[in-house]
Amino acid sequence: MFYFDRRLLANVDWLLLAAAAGVLALGGLTLGSLTMTRAGSGLVLRQLLWDGIGVGALIAVASLDYRNLVRAAPAFYLAGLLALLAVFALGRSVSGARRWIPVGPLTVQPSELFKFAFVLMVVWVLTWRWAQPVGTATLGLAAAVLLPPFVLIVKQPDLGTALVLVPVLVLLLVGAGIRLRLLGGVAAAGLSAMPVIWFALKEYQRERLLVYLDPFRDPLGTAYNVIQAKIAIGSGQFLGKGIAGATQSRLAFLPERHTDFIFAVFAEMWGFVGCLVLILCYAVIVTRGFGIAATAREPLGRLAAVGATALLAAETLINLGMVTGLLPIVGIPLPMMSYGGSSLVVSMMALGLLLSVRMRQFA
Amino acid sequence: MAVSRGPVPPRRDPGKQRVLGMTVGVLAAFLVVIGQLWYLQVLEGARLQELSDKNRIRIRPVAAPRGVLFDRNGLPLVDNRPAFTLSLIPREIDDRVRVLRRVSVLLKIPYAELDDALGRVPGDPLMPVRVRRGLTLEEVAKVEEWKLELPGVIVEVEPQRMYPTSRFAAHLLGYVREANEEQLRQGRYRRGDMVGQSGLERLLDQYLRGTDGGERIEVDALGRPIRLIQHTEPVPGAQVVTTIDRRIQEAAERAMEGHAGAVVVLDPRDGDVLAMVSTPAFALDQFTGTIDRDAWVQLIRNPAHPMLNRTVQSQYAPGSVFKIIVAAAGLQETTLTPMDHIFCDGQFHLGNRTFGDWKEGGHGTVNLHHAIVESCNVYFYQAGLRIGMDTIARYARAFGFGTSTGIDLPGEKPGFIPASRRGRRPSFLGDTANMAIGQGAVLATPIQVARMMAAVANGGVFFKPRLVQRVLRADGRVLYSDPGRVNGHVELSPMVWAFLRQSLLDVVNEGTGVAAHIPGIEIAGKTGTAQLVANSRADRGQDNAWFAAFAPANDPQYVVVVMIEHGGKGGEVAAPIARAIYDAIFFEKVASVGLSG
Repeated sequence: MFYFDRRLLANVDWLLLAAAAGVLALGGLTLGSLTMTRAGSGLVLRQLLWDGIGVGALIAVASLDYRNLVRAAPAFYLAGLLALLAVFALGRSVSGARRWIPVGPLTVQPSELFKFAFVLMVVWVLTWRWAQPVGTATLGLAAAVLLPPFVLIVKQPDLGTALVLVPVLVLLLVGAGIRLRLLGGVAAAGLSAMPVIWFALKEYQRERLLVYLDPFRDPLGTAYNVIQAKIAIGSGQFLGKGIAGATQSRLAFLPERHTDFIFAVFAEMWGFVGCLVLILCYAVIVTRGFGIAATAREPLGRLAAVGATALLAAETLINLGMVTGLLPIVGIPLPMMSYGGSSLVVSMMALGLLLSVRMRQFA
Repeated sequence: MAVSRGPVPPRRDPGKQRVLGMTVGVLAAFLVVIGQLWYLQVLEGARLQELSDKNRIRIRPVAAPRGVLFDRNGLPLVDNRPAFTLSLIPREIDDRVRVLRRVSVLLKIPYAELDDALGRVPGDPLMPVRVRRGLTLEEVAKVEEWKLELPGVIVEVEPQRMYPTSRFAAHLLGYVREANEEQLRQGRYRRGDMVGQSGLERLLDQYLRGTDGGERIEVDALGRPIRLIQHTEPVPGAQVVTTIDRRIQEAAERAMEGHAGAVVVLDPRDGDVLAMVSTPAFALDQFTGTIDRDAWVQLIRNPAHPMLNRTVQSQYAPGSVFKIIVAAAGLQETTLTPMDHIFCDGQFHLGNRTFGDWKEGGHGTVNLHHAIVESCNVYFYQAGLRIGMDTIARYARAFGFGTSTGIDLPGEKPGFIPASRRGRRPSFLGDTANMAIGQGAVLATPIQVARMMAAVANGGVFFKPRLVQRVLRADGRVLYSDPGRVNGHVELSPMVWAFLRQSLLDVVNEGTGVAAHIPGIEIAGKTGTAQLVANSRADRGQDNAWFAAFAPANDPQYVVVVMIEHGGKGGEVAAPIARAIYDAIFFEKVASVGLSG
């Protein structure tokens, strides 16, 4: 199981790694320029430490055979559920949400790490012979896999992370060959359930949705984030303001600028041109990810690659959409850019999974 | 689809197609994001850049000090001192109710007042809203002490008017107050601007205001200043050199203490107003802070009308002072001669009416000179009938009655001279008789009487009373100057002028105006006691007292007119006040220099 063949290195996807390294570098630069003048440069050091951990996780996952990982998925999944439960007991509360568990000097966000286990688990279910052919029964199984963590994560509350699971699941179902008409039916049912969900949402979550529909509802309240982010991005204009000129970010008009809104900081500093470069990196990662899926030698590998890519793509697009004002604010980090260890490690693990599939496609 | 373990034969794989579809979908989504970025950064970039600057740049207005008003000798009449103003920055107040409540308790300002002040401002939430002016040092200390609990509450330093004493030349200088709604509607002022509302402050507001400066400060999201981007010095308002002589003004105010009425001091050689007093006066400094509504209503409804500038806005019967004009008319038209004399037994009968003299038993045999010196009414009843109402009215108008003097003060009243009515009906003749002693329908303002007196002193020249000599910018450039203007002339024969002057001199030396006599100074004057229509017995003896004079008689330099409402006899009440003023003019050469208060 832990057999490692040196020949595997011949099939490492260097382009994928280069794009990821590019994103990491841009993220570090942005974070560093934000904290340059402040005493809080500890933030950069801590992120560098997480970078190290992330690289370790990537190598570890890449060196494991993805088939073994999927085989172990139920165990990961159950461990993840336990961790999510543990949050309620051990969790550290930050601004009204319990999402973190302290582990030594670091804090870990189980809902982030759980995403990886979720991908593996869904792949496991879809490739399980009871789920064949992919149909209504598979949907039921998938729903059963989705619901417990979804509820637990929403309860934290961390709506953003919970929502990311949905598109990942959908893409995996599509990749597994579900009939699109069936999926459409489910989507329609979901839409008609919206009113019910509305009442289940917390007040501030509803407010965020309303603000998305009308940002000037309350310009100093919830919409403040949206407006300030738009101002930051837009004022970067074509070439950006540079590090020193990025007043929106550096003078703290932009909230959550280290974490969820880091893209706005980047956009203010480097302008449209910089954004194109960054988005190009993400596009390369996603394209390579799906490329690996397309060239996987069997469905298990393909689904694993689809899941990992879907995870990265969903987080990236939801974050970018939210920061640029296309989507409501749901609070999820930008993979490999935002400050935060758990998110980074999960993204690296997803990349590791892609490499693992790629390296073994000819084996 | 079956799970195949082991090598897969190269065949068309539907899964592969779907992955291709996903790739296209995701890349399309990236394109949407890029489209949005193009929209925000390229199409909307300039606008959002502006918003970003607005975010970080606070513009703090720095109020320009109002121009200083000087007297003719370079002494300040009104100056400025720094004062503290409580302001609120709407954007920085996180919890309006909590912050306003704290301010309300701390400074004992009604909550509603604060809420109002914030509520009525629709504009830029970053601009400070001035809530209360004239904070005491203790209040400033309180605000500073609680600074951290009061986000968005700041204390600004603004120049504020400082007056020698709170009522000094109140009507002349005028008060300064925040622009009212109507002035805001005209669009020349911004909310919170201090604007001259009366007197010279209003007349010269455009010069006195100066240009506010400002500071552009970069602040962070918490409003903490990071650095100064630009500083524009305020341009102070222009300096105004008035014609007022502060020394005389102070003396006149002192002399008027306890009386309601008016004093005008003119230079008969050029029409310069040397002093202008109206009592009771209002306190100028109550407007510099934030005057509360009750105080304002009290001021407006006060039965003594402290806001009224009696020198130009109140019209009174001139009483016997008017006899100067009747005498001038009679002599010039040769209806009267100095030799004519009558016997005054204290009564004059016209038809079935009897007109009395002020002196019981009368003055005996009087000629014109005596009639002026003793202010004999009976003589003037008869003289008036001989001269005729039209002629008296014509001369009265020539002497500036019935039209405004053109003084640069708002709200001047023109007085009243009855229009010509012909006939010989007893009632009409009675009106003529009354008019001849300055009673009845004749009305004049103190400034008109002063100008008439100046014309007698200078031989018939009427000047537009001048208040402002020039307006100077700080660099010395003259923005406005008033060279003075002649706006009337009376032609009388030199003998008539000489007669009038001699008679008026004798009024003070030996006649009704003897109370104004100062040894060594030749003062020429005329008393007047204008009867009011007595509505009740209590009103009797409540006559308006006049005294109009010029001095020195051989080289007239100072016309002094005193009018005391309900004072009694002119010679007893008004003349001593005029003497006190002349005393100060001729014997107190040094003013109490410096601004106190």
